[in-house]
Amino acid sequence: MTAHPAPRARSGEARYAYATVLPVVALIALFTIYPIGSAVVTSLREVVLYRPESTPFVGLKNYAAVIRSEYFASAWRHTLTFAAGAVPLATVAGFAIAHLLNARTRTASLLNVAILLPWAIPTVISGIIWAWIFNSSYGAFNGALYSLGLVDSYVPWLSRPTTALLSVLFAHVWKEVPLTSILYLAALQAIPEELFDAARADGAGALAALRHVTVPLLIPTTLIIVVYETMIAIVTFDLLYVMTGGGPAGATSLISYYMYNSMFTSFNFGHGAALAVLLAASLVIFIVLYMRLLRSEEIYRE
Amino acid sequence: MTRRAWARGAGTLLGLVVACYILAPFGWVALSSIQPEKELFRVPPQWIPRVVTTDNYRFIFTGRFPAGYQETGLLRGRISEKARDALPALRNSTIVAVTVALLNLVLGTMAAYTFARIRFRGAGALYMFILASRLLPPMAVAIPYYLIVSRLGLLDRYSALVLIHAAFTLPFTVWFLTLYFRRVPPDIEEAALVDGATRLQALLRIVAPVAAPAVAATAAFAFMFSYNDFPFALFVTSTIRSQTIPVIVSVTAVNPDVSFGVVAVTVVLTMIPPVLFAMIFRNYITRGLIAVTTTR
Amino acid sequence: MAYGAGTTQLTFTVWSYSNDVILDNIKKFEAKNPGIKVTMQDFSWEKYTDVMTARFVGKTPTDVAYSSDHWLQQWAAANWIVPLEDPFPQVKAYKPDFAQYANEGMTYKGKLYGLPYYADTIIFIYNEDMLKRAGFSAPPASWDEVTRMALAMKEKKIVEYPIMFQFQDITPWYIEVFLSMVYSFKDYRMFDDALNPIFDRNGSAAHKVAQWLVDGMRTHKIINPASLETTEIPLVKAMGAGQVAFAVLPKYNLADLNTPGAHAQAGKFKMALMPGETHGTVGFVRFYAMTKMAADRGRDVQSAAWKFLEYFGGKTDGQFTVVRRWALEKGLGFAQLPLYKDPQIRGAINKWGNVTLEEQQAKLAKAKEALTPFWGSWSLEFQKEMNRALLGQKPALDALKASAAKWKEMKK
Repeated sequence: MTAHPAPRARSGEARYAYATVLPVVALIALFTIYPIGSAVVTSLREVVLYRPESTPFVGLKNYAAVIRSEYFASAWRHTLTFAAGAVPLATVAGFAIAHLLNARTRTASLLNVAILLPWAIPTVISGIIWAWIFNSSYGAFNGALYSLGLVDSYVPWLSRPTTALLSVLFAHVWKEVPLTSILYLAALQAIPEELFDAARADGAGALAALRHVTVPLLIPTTLIIVVYETMIAIVTFDLLYVMTGGGPAGATSLISYYMYNSMFTSFNFGHGAALAVLLAASLVIFIVLYMRLLRSEEIYRE
Repeated sequence: MTRRAWARGAGTLLGLVVACYILAPFGWVALSSIQPEKELFRVPPQWIPRVVTTDNYRFIFTGRFPAGYQETGLLRGRISEKARDALPALRNSTIVAVTVALLNLVLGTMAAYTFARIRFRGAGALYMFILASRLLPPMAVAIPYYLIVSRLGLLDRYSALVLIHAAFTLPFTVWFLTLYFRRVPPDIEEAALVDGATRLQALLRIVAPVAAPAVAATAAFAFMFSYNDFPFALFVTSTIRSQTIPVIVSVTAVNPDVSFGVVAVTVVLTMIPPVLFAMIFRNYITRGLIAVTTTR
Repeated sequence: MAYGAGTTQLTFTVWSYSNDVILDNIKKFEAKNPGIKVTMQDFSWEKYTDVMTARFVGKTPTDVAYSSDHWLQQWAAANWIVPLEDPFPQVKAYKPDFAQYANEGMTYKGKLYGLPYYADTIIFIYNEDMLKRAGFSAPPASWDEVTRMALAMKEKKIVEYPIMFQFQDITPWYIEVFLSMVYSFKDYRMFDDALNPIFDRNGSAAHKVAQWLVDGMRTHKIINPASLETTEIPLVKAMGAGQVAFAVLPKYNLADLNTPGAHAQAGKFKMALMPGETHGTVGFVRFYAMTKMAADRGRDVQSAAWKFLEYFGGKTDGQFTVVRRWALEKGLGFAQLPLYKDPQIRGAINKWGNVTLEEQQAKLAKAKEALTPFWGSWSLEFQKEMNRALLGQKPALDALKASAAKWKEMKK
């Protein structure tokens, strides 16, 4: 279906146009221009709250300081590790669950209702719940493993770097899977039945149909999901903060935590602002990518 | 035939495993909310509760201490009374979220329709501006937002939350609906306009009914975002007059005299409005997503 | 609500703990002081400093605020709170009543910045039942004895990991617990008088403590490896459920642990003096501070704020009324030493604790040394390094050396 471009404004319509658009723009501008401006200005000054007497202009010194700091490298390393786990898992799980949702069985109906639940609760509360579940002294996860006979004593999941990362991924994917699976479901349901009939007529089995019909047609959706989930993984804060506090020994300290720490623990707003600007810049790249992919998806469809 | 039965069996099994993964935490919280505190820390847990009690719920609703938290001399029962703020917090959260959803519904739809149908000076720039506005992560903008709200004199009021949440959700709504409206053929509206209808009437009478799924989907997203917000609510609310449920649950969970059973009750209560909302609007959400991301 | 002319409005920020008691105290204060109206605003304890930072930066009207000894340096240097001695010299009269560690904790550049809300010490808590079952009749008096008793408990299969700590990377209690163990040694100083680190020397008290911890976790396996994910509340819950025999915790947790409805093992917990040569430990204080904003609002507001501070942290009609109430109703500790002579308090404490031991421990408690504006972020680094040692990624002494290096870096 083609997108219909907007026709030239008719007389008097310009006033209506501005009247309907400007309130939204004004509201968004209020909460965009000032924060971005303030962040940029603060990032160029030395602003340390417990040295309020002087906030001199220091140019790019804050940027140099944060980029050269060891935390920057390690935070990005941890963030990319986290994303490298979270994005494929959320995508593949979403893809698989979408197929389950698409079936016409009773399990599918149950799942269709259940799938929305993780999306419906605040991230910070899901962090509290999962921290409780993974707790090494009285958690339900350990309890289940123990009752099923799979372990003979509780495992300290969140106390070792590798298992902590896995636990956090487990909780994060749980929170993201509603969105990815519904997006895939929507895309799946849009595939015309004829394509599957044709494939079957050619003698293709279920797996072959998947490979030759489903996956290619779902590539645009996959790209959208991958980019979106990467953005989410980069800014994620609440879940990890509640579950591990960035530990153990800093193993799950992501870039968002480094920014939070600079501002609210070290009281160095100059550094925090520089990090915010850098983070925003990296998100810009992703958003541009996102927009391009969506536009190419529209073209692909036409 | 057997192959299909196998496939169906595997599908059901997988479906149950996934349902387990999704629902298990909620089940655990629900089970914990009806047990007395001491029972919650058994190793291994009591999968089928040995002792069931409504004391935790009764504490939230009436303030009566759960059995066992007796007075030890002059020592009053050490249980966090802050948990009782969960009910007013639910009210705050729901009111704010519904308002944000309505704002998105009205302002977002109108703005998106304009972008889709009317070409006017600055349209492209304004559209790009709206899309580019979500760059800074919430923690980075928390203090600037706090300062804005503070200067406006709106600290600890619903309007602070409504403004911030609307500013965060409108970009997505406008973008989503603009894409959607662009796909709707303009012929019927053109005809109506020729007949003398205004743009607004065209929007309300012709486009809105057709676009209902997409519009409902964006309103639902806006509701969810607002309801689930934590970082902004944390900073701009300071008393129960406006504190929202994520704030109250997290406060209760870190109190030294916390009872996990009571926290479980607050979590269960937290889930009710959005779950209801999601179930009602579920079909709209899926249909809206289908409409925007695919061909029809 | 319209206030009459001559009513002073005070805004009071707290972290959410027993808000109902605070509000009741406020009501009683207002009844005694008809010209003053107090509004309370509350925030989560975990996020209190974050929110207060925003408040102070945004200059949201705040007159009296809860504060703590480990934030005093930052808040005072940022000029957010003011010394009480200058506008109210009468506050100095209270100093002799307060425990030494409390006075130190509320003093910045030689001036007193607040009156105590509550003050407490970090103590050694043990499960008496488990101790007896292992065959011991008295609690350990040295860290070697702790190891011995813990090993015995482990062998007798009383509990798999007898000791557990709140050693999550970012919990503020981590460093306080570590320091309280260091202070039980004779040669406890971590920094010299010029605030240079001396704790990374081989054989220092800090080294001994760090090595004891690493040995306990990796060699003897008497310290629960899950300590690295544990914060205060989960530790208390686990201990209450009977999974921990020995713990180092702020004292108010003893009152909680012995609350019958909350824990399966309630009633079995006792306190002991901190094991070690001197039985010294850390004492901390949370206090009421007056903000610069209040000071700037003029003489009327200042005297109203003083009345408030004195009612809550000082004496009314010769009694420390509010502090006494916290001690009786919630088992919170106090810096006001005369209260130990109060028979009602003694009786109330003995219901869940041991008032004699508590008073003794309070006298042996020291304030944390070398508090600076960057102490908060340094302590997070220290904790991370210690956890690397506990995970076996580096030897204990190396972790201490790395922390010392970070201190020198931040000091510049």
